[in-house]
Amino acid sequence: MANLTLTASPALGGIELEIGQNRIAERSDLAIVSIATPLGGKDILAKTLNTGWSLTMPDPIMSTVEGNTRAIRTSPDQILLIFPHGTPDANATVQKKLNGTGYTTDQTDAWVILEISGPDTLKALERLCLLDTATFEIGQSARTMMEHMGALIIRLEDDRFMLMSASSSAGSFLHAVETSYNYVS
Amino acid sequence: MIINHPLLGPRDAAEFTVLGDASLLHRPDGMTATMDDMHDYAYLRDNPAGLHRELWYHEQGDRSWLVVTRNTLTHDVENVELARDVARTEGRSK
Amino acid sequence: MTQPNRLDGGQIDRTRKLKFSWNGTFYSGYHGDTLASALLANGQRLVGRSFKYHRPRGIFSAGSEEPNALVQLRTGAAQEPNTRATTIELFDGLKATSQNHRGSLEYDLMAANDLLSPFLSAGFYYKTFMWPKAFWEQFYEPVIRASAGLGRLSMEPDPDVYDHGYLHCDLLIIGAGPAGLTAALTAARAGLRVILADEDFTPGGRLNAETYAVDDQPGATWAAAVTAELQAMDNVRLMTRTTVYGAYDHGVYGALERKTDHLANANGKPRQVLWRLYTKRALLTAGSTERSIAFGNNDRPGVMLAGAVRTYVNRFGVAPGKKVAIFTNNDDGLRTADDLRAKGVDITRIIDARQGDNVVNTVGRKGLHTVYLNGGRHVEADCLAVSGGWSPNVHLTCHHRGRPVWNEQIAGFTPGKDLPPGMVVAGAANGAMTLAAAIRQAHEAAQSIAAGLGKTVRDTAPKASDETFDTAPFWHVAESKTRAWVDLQNDVTTKDIKQSHQEGFRSVEHLKRYTTLGMATDQGKTANILGLALMAEAQGKSIQDTGTTIFRPPYNPVAIGAFAGRARGKDFRPTRLTPSHRWAEENGADFVETGMWLRAQWFKQPGEKGWRDSVDREAAMVRKSVGICDVTTLGKIDIQGRDAAEFLNRIYANAFLKLPVGKVRYGLMLREDGICYDDGTTARLAENHFVMTTTTANAVTVFRNMEFARQCLWPDLDVHLISTTDAWAQFGVAGPNARALLSKVVDDLDLSNDAFPFMACTDCTVFGGTPARLFRISFSGELAYEVAVPARYGDAMIRALMEVGQEFDAVPYGTEALGVLRIEKGHAAGNELNGQTTAQMLGLGGMVSKKKDSIGSKLSERPALNGDDDMRLVGFKPVDKTIGLTAGAHFLSPGDPEDMAHDQGWMTSVAYSPELGHSIGLGYLKRGQDRLGEQIRSYSPVRGGNTMVEVCSPHHIDPEGHRQRG
Repeated sequence: MANLTLTASPALGGIELEIGQNRIAERSDLAIVSIATPLGGKDILAKTLNTGWSLTMPDPIMSTVEGNTRAIRTSPDQILLIFPHGTPDANATVQKKLNGTGYTTDQTDAWVILEISGPDTLKALERLCLLDTATFEIGQSARTMMEHMGALIIRLEDDRFMLMSASSSAGSFLHAVETSYNYVS
Repeated sequence: MIINHPLLGPRDAAEFTVLGDASLLHRPDGMTATMDDMHDYAYLRDNPAGLHRELWYHEQGDRSWLVVTRNTLTHDVENVELARDVARTEGRSK
Repeated sequence: MTQPNRLDGGQIDRTRKLKFSWNGTFYSGYHGDTLASALLANGQRLVGRSFKYHRPRGIFSAGSEEPNALVQLRTGAAQEPNTRATTIELFDGLKATSQNHRGSLEYDLMAANDLLSPFLSAGFYYKTFMWPKAFWEQFYEPVIRASAGLGRLSMEPDPDVYDHGYLHCDLLIIGAGPAGLTAALTAARAGLRVILADEDFTPGGRLNAETYAVDDQPGATWAAAVTAELQAMDNVRLMTRTTVYGAYDHGVYGALERKTDHLANANGKPRQVLWRLYTKRALLTAGSTERSIAFGNNDRPGVMLAGAVRTYVNRFGVAPGKKVAIFTNNDDGLRTADDLRAKGVDITRIIDARQGDNVVNTVGRKGLHTVYLNGGRHVEADCLAVSGGWSPNVHLTCHHRGRPVWNEQIAGFTPGKDLPPGMVVAGAANGAMTLAAAIRQAHEAAQSIAAGLGKTVRDTAPKASDETFDTAPFWHVAESKTRAWVDLQNDVTTKDIKQSHQEGFRSVEHLKRYTTLGMATDQGKTANILGLALMAEAQGKSIQDTGTTIFRPPYNPVAIGAFAGRARGKDFRPTRLTPSHRWAEENGADFVETGMWLRAQWFKQPGEKGWRDSVDREAAMVRKSVGICDVTTLGKIDIQGRDAAEFLNRIYANAFLKLPVGKVRYGLMLREDGICYDDGTTARLAENHFVMTTTTANAVTVFRNMEFARQCLWPDLDVHLISTTDAWAQFGVAGPNARALLSKVVDDLDLSNDAFPFMACTDCTVFGGTPARLFRISFSGELAYEVAVPARYGDAMIRALMEVGQEFDAVPYGTEALGVLRIEKGHAAGNELNGQTTAQMLGLGGMVSKKKDSIGSKLSERPALNGDDDMRLVGFKPVDKTIGLTAGAHFLSPGDPEDMAHDQGWMTSVAYSPELGHSIGLGYLKRGQDRLGEQIRSYSPVRGGNTMVEVCSPHHIDPEGHRQRG
């Protein structure tokens, strides 16, 4: 059985698409770990984030970034850390640095991450997202829904956004994003 | 319909699910409550024409339960609070 | 292909000639034409037949208020009935046909209805088709169905695509006429984010149709310049071909943008887009709509609203007639004469009601040729321009049940005080009926809205002069002896209104329902006020006291396709796929939808003829050796915190506080009313760390309810939830060889019964280092495990499991075999949890702990839920083993009549058991636990089953549980 080592396959196989001058790409290089704040442990967790990652605690609608690591608030007492990580031990690495100051759950496999960019991006988002994405600041984040699927959106640059949705419906999510670009007129 | 989320700002009601009367916060302790107390809690709701405190859940959002004070006659939303804060203020703890 | 009625001028592009077909004949028009203007240019006055009497009808208006000129546009699957010729932009190759006639438009066989009109008045249906009663189904209804309705559907799926979207702005301006353009410019200069929407394809509104001047330029030139300026501004979104059709709560508006209706080919782009507009403020500058006057035979082709006549002459360079008469009660109507004379059109007579002149009757079967006046006079005319005054377009002001107010001075309803919050009205929609007044009002409104949103702007209103506006209410010509139409679209006449009053329909809402006044595609835009005025007159009341019917969305019709948007076919809802989906597709799986998930229901092998062959084989192989099933779809919730155990103890009816680390426990969840709603297993991975599974169907609900309990009921418990359903690919491995198989999968873990007993769980690795979780739980009653790996390894995992399993003839099994196995074992599932199920019914009454408070525990103790006579889950087998059982069948004692009084329970689940070789069932039976061995009748009047069954234990196999514990 020695040859049966399991190989990972990303939800969309690491797809990259071009629609006109726009691009949709799956980010399969990122790990996601959620950190829940223990009751009464907000300040200690904020401090650990700072010492461990040099990150400030994200506020409800604004993610924070340091180096390759981004922190997004998903609930009043929960954040996501997103960072490049190849092996399935992201949870352990975060836990180690947290040293018990937050409850972690590996969410890498729960989500599909798409990075979308290009000149039609805001127009595509008008058809996909009920939030006012045109006025999002760089780094602004929101948890919302797109075509009946729960989604997370973060503005990375003027014409570049990161979209996250459930990995089991990754195909439907990609289809929704792709259709939105195709329908821009 | 728009709900002005206390942490996130105005969000479309499509992101929420509604449960109803915020009296559901006041669940009696099953070990001490009488059957009548528990029955009233589970089944009896006010249905006022006018201001109504309702529980809404930001399911397609930050998963907060909210207490929304809404006028059922005009649909005006007069106040939105985190249900957790309201619950604590109204004496709920562990 | 000459256009006999084409004049000079107008805003059409004569360099772009377009060919179109009308009822099979080709004509030409120009870019910038509507189908209506092009038909008029080509002398086509007769364009359709009326709804009830099949009267010949012509083009009546020049906008979306059109009641008559409804046509079928395009052909084949794209054919759309009831489109208004007045709003269809002409494109090259356009094909349209008239509707509502049998035979040709000129010789409609249904025109006989017109001769029968004395019998077809208001309430005709209700009075006539009452008797004899038996005639309704066989005769009346088929005949009515064959005659009713306008236009024909293609009966094919709509080939176009539709979309929806969301837009945000500070200020939505509805209507891009002089008021809307003025307001948009001021608001945009102030820095507001503005959306300006207009249903026309050229902004300008009446400026395009009249000969007014603004800022010393022709109105249309000014409108074009302002449009260009607005288009160049980043903070303005100018949306033409866009109808704002509804005002909803909290500044939300609905709008329909027609993207490709004016193109011969959409090239795959959405035909229409339904926008949800989020606004801080809205300014309604929707203008006003002209209305007619009721006089004898006022419905003939050639009778047209005066404003529309000016539109055709000024905007489209088309003369609606060669000899035009004008019938008016206001100054605005007189402008028509000036404009037409300027274009060289012959005016045969101006008939001013204010001077006592009236039109009594008209003549001309398929087109007007003579107009009869009071006093026995008559005048030749092939077009009669009628103006009964203008009604402000207050519709959207009433969408929150606001009531408009009657304004005697303009003889029209203006917006009341109770507008939708955030809405302001300006211009003609607000009763400012002259150009300068409308512009001034819009300018002030925009400045004040900007100030209210913290922006200031110093600009001056565009310059225009106030034309004279004098109107005297005048509704109908009393001297007319012939029928006078009020609502052209629904063939409602003055006589119908009087009759409905006489028959006691006194409320306007009743009048509307009884006569159909104001119904259908135009919603009575040109007819309602006239109808109300006649109603008021009949009752001797004022129009204000008579009131209006409620205006509701949509302002204009919106195709169902636009509401559906993309949500068609496979795109109706998202599809969730299990991690082994691709592998399952490659291996003959047949899929079933369970919620949004697609799950394999069985895997067909070569030679298997029907699904039963596959399912029997899979279930049998699990019992004989080992089977593998993807169970990823079960909800998984990660639960952590210092109080996690205490929390679970309150969520589940049974005890959880003392569940040891490394163990799994079955848990039963109740609703607060004591009824069971979900069950599953929860594993304790660490002191403060649990992972719960829920049923596939209830994953979202359970999570929501637990968040409620956490935030609202016990806010100071330290407990945190996150869904991990999609994070783990989880596989059930079940059967006597499960341990042997898994021992070749799991790295360095003692799987012996002592080391890893029934209900154990652990973190581990598989296949040389991939992180995994292993649970020893069984849904089938066999020795069974569930093994989970991060979802990205799911595809590799199923392939590896199957490869290792070859040695044991391992089979993949689907949801059907899963069902067979659990029915054999007597596990309750969705069929048994129907929203009425108590723990006692499941035989789990003893599980509900009375030593603690948990959700639903108190109310589950109610005596009525715990009677001796209650239903109890038991098993059933047929007395004659060759007979299949029927789910949904009810149980009766032999000899009892088949009625509810003798009903003793029902069959919830049935399956063929390959293990036992006959059909088996689960079901609820009164005092079932005491009746094992009894023979009763299983009776299904719906599915025809009538079988003697024997009551048995629900655990059809291995009732002592040796296998799963072995």
